[in-house]
Amino acid sequence: MKIVKKIKARLLGENNGNEIKSSGNSYLTSKEIRAISKANAKVMLRLEKYKNRKADESEFLSEMKDPKNILEIEDLNTYFFTDQGVVKAVNGVYFEIPKNATVGIVGESGCGKSVTSMSVMRLLQGPQGQIYSGSIRFRAYDYKRDGHGNPIPTGETAENGAPVYETEEKVYDIAKMPINEIYRIRGKQIAMIFQEPMTSLNPIFTIGEQLDEVTFIHTPGATKEIAKARSMEMLELVGIAAPERVYKAFPHELSGGMRQRVMIAMALSCDPRLIIADEPTTALDVTIQAQILDLLRELKDRIDGSIMLITHDLGVIAEMADYVVVMYAGRVIERGTAREIFHNPLHPYTIGLQMSKPTMDSDSDKLFNIPGNVPNPVNMPNYCYFKERCSRCTAKCSGDYPCMVQVSPTHFVACHLYTEEEKNG
Amino acid sequence: MLKYILKRIGLSIVILVGVSMIIYFLIRLMPVDFIQDKINAINQGGATVDEETVKTMYEMYGLGDNSFRGILEGYFNWLGQLAQGNLGRSFKTNEPVADVIVSHMGVSFAVSLIATIIEFMIAIPLGITAATHQYSLRDYIVTIFVMVGISLPSFYFGQVLKDLFAYKLGWFPSQGLVNAGGSATGIALLPEYFMHMFLPILTVVILSIGGRMRMTRTNMLEVMNSDYIRTARAKGLGEHKVIYKHAFRNTLIPIVTTLAGLLPSLFSGAIITEQVFGLPGIGNVALELMNCGDIPFIMGYNMFLAMLSVIGVLLSDLMYAVVDPRVKLD
Repeated sequence: MKIVKKIKARLLGENNGNEIKSSGNSYLTSKEIRAISKANAKVMLRLEKYKNRKADESEFLSEMKDPKNILEIEDLNTYFFTDQGVVKAVNGVYFEIPKNATVGIVGESGCGKSVTSMSVMRLLQGPQGQIYSGSIRFRAYDYKRDGHGNPIPTGETAENGAPVYETEEKVYDIAKMPINEIYRIRGKQIAMIFQEPMTSLNPIFTIGEQLDEVTFIHTPGATKEIAKARSMEMLELVGIAAPERVYKAFPHELSGGMRQRVMIAMALSCDPRLIIADEPTTALDVTIQAQILDLLRELKDRIDGSIMLITHDLGVIAEMADYVVVMYAGRVIERGTAREIFHNPLHPYTIGLQMSKPTMDSDSDKLFNIPGNVPNPVNMPNYCYFKERCSRCTAKCSGDYPCMVQVSPTHFVACHLYTEEEKNG
Repeated sequence: MLKYILKRIGLSIVILVGVSMIIYFLIRLMPVDFIQDKINAINQGGATVDEETVKTMYEMYGLGDNSFRGILEGYFNWLGQLAQGNLGRSFKTNEPVADVIVSHMGVSFAVSLIATIIEFMIAIPLGITAATHQYSLRDYIVTIFVMVGISLPSFYFGQVLKDLFAYKLGWFPSQGLVNAGGSATGIALLPEYFMHMFLPILTVVILSIGGRMRMTRTNMLEVMNSDYIRTARAKGLGEHKVIYKHAFRNTLIPIVTTLAGLLPSLFSGAIITEQVFGLPGIGNVALELMNCGDIPFIMGYNMFLAMLSVIGVLLSDLMYAVVDPRVKLD
């Protein structure tokens, strides 16, 4: 019985591996791996089919809970189906991004911050990576479409000569969208800036070709002149001094900072409402980092959009973010305004993160670190994931995973220390 | 660019001289003796050849002195003739070597060229679909099919095809290049050529698809996993454009450059396949003349291939500069 449990723990509830027999040791035998991959294949096939289905728009239209938000993520589960078991990379994540705000997502490597952003963009590498359940509601401006699905022109033209189309506001549930509908949103409404500017541009096309492409994809009826004018405008916007030269250059002819500016120009090119910046400054040196962050902050106001900033650099978060979401092992453990998270951190993990930040005025010659390791992602315990590393454990911590406790209108934390407080108070 | 090409050509000449010297010495040291074979043949016919005649024969063919000095002298004689544009006469056929090569080249070249074109046309799409559907049923079927192709030896697979299509089914002729006793000439020969070349081409194609397909698949996979493909997707590009514009153009870089490297193989002839199907190609002739120690032919043929190899390498380096903007030659 115990043996069957071992495999069961690695799989999802729906394929309860009853028929799977297992050897007694703690390593997986090849037979067990086969059993796991067989069970996974079933789920993956179902999810792939769901992803590739044709669906009517009504199936993924949704409503926002709070009209102030531009993005609401609710109970998002993103799993990777490996031969070792199901990795729950994002495990019931809740958070929202208000209009015109910067939301910082922090957490150590592998805590699921990038996977969350990939889920929003629907860029997960299938068939292993799948959104298993949950919803990602996004408020989008989309073209009004006639009976044939073509946009309806208003008859006017924009300054640059591109035709203008009627638009309307809709709320889409990205998690339920079939993959061939995602092009309504991806790159146009939500744009992404990646960590590695050195490798994120295609080496065999010029910057101009790669920038123009964005306009061609998203502006119906764009001509070469319109696209080029737009690209040049964007290059100037991101502070590139010689846009004409950069436009004709190949990526390898530019420095890292320049490339990241080009990436930002590319992301901005279609007036996105949300920019996801996945560690945009990690690969850059400190002076360029500051420039890029200034640029992002300035641009956010100019395009009147929101930024989802993923980083593990608390300094960057403190400087940029209005709201902070702290993730640990695939879950959100604390979220609130930047002020709340930095001045009144509640979760022992958040407190630990703050303490491990190097400071100039500390006398200690050793950097604080949180002892222990993240639990094995294929075999998560059913109690608090941070319990083994926590210095403030109570008896309650061996119980169920703590639920989110609201400590102020904007401040939430998932820790048993505060569930007690709530009951007492 | 021009300076680079000239420099490379200059270097190529040095390489070719080195190659020719090594080949000449190796042939002279080969345990085959054309004269001895000839004398043996005469002896078997009942006649006897006296010592004096044997010596004159060796002298006549320039093989009298087998010391280091003698071989060196022989080599420079050959080089001197070459400088005057003369590749010498084949010992065996007594025709000029250049004529022997040219007259048998056509068949081999036609087979190789057609086979290479078909190979690329099949292998590249297969590699792309296998890569974009990695670990799917399609990937496995394609992989198994091409692995079987790689693993089959040509003498066996050619024989199987011949047995099946030529002997059992009788769809194609089994030997040669023209119908025995046929009287067609000129254009009318083309269908005949086609029928005779079909099986050899099929053999070469099936055996070579595997390598090319594996190469395309590996390159494509590497490119598909790169960051700029993720960027292309994040822009909102459709999957078709991502694969055929952004990924394929990058996959083409190594494919195009190996294309230029194929130059010598187009002319070298498929020795074993030509043997199996009795095609009078250059591979067949080369093997025969190699076996009887025909020094002028071996030198001429090998130097021809060496020259093509050197040109092929140069071309493939130049191709890099054409297809990859990161490469600058100077």
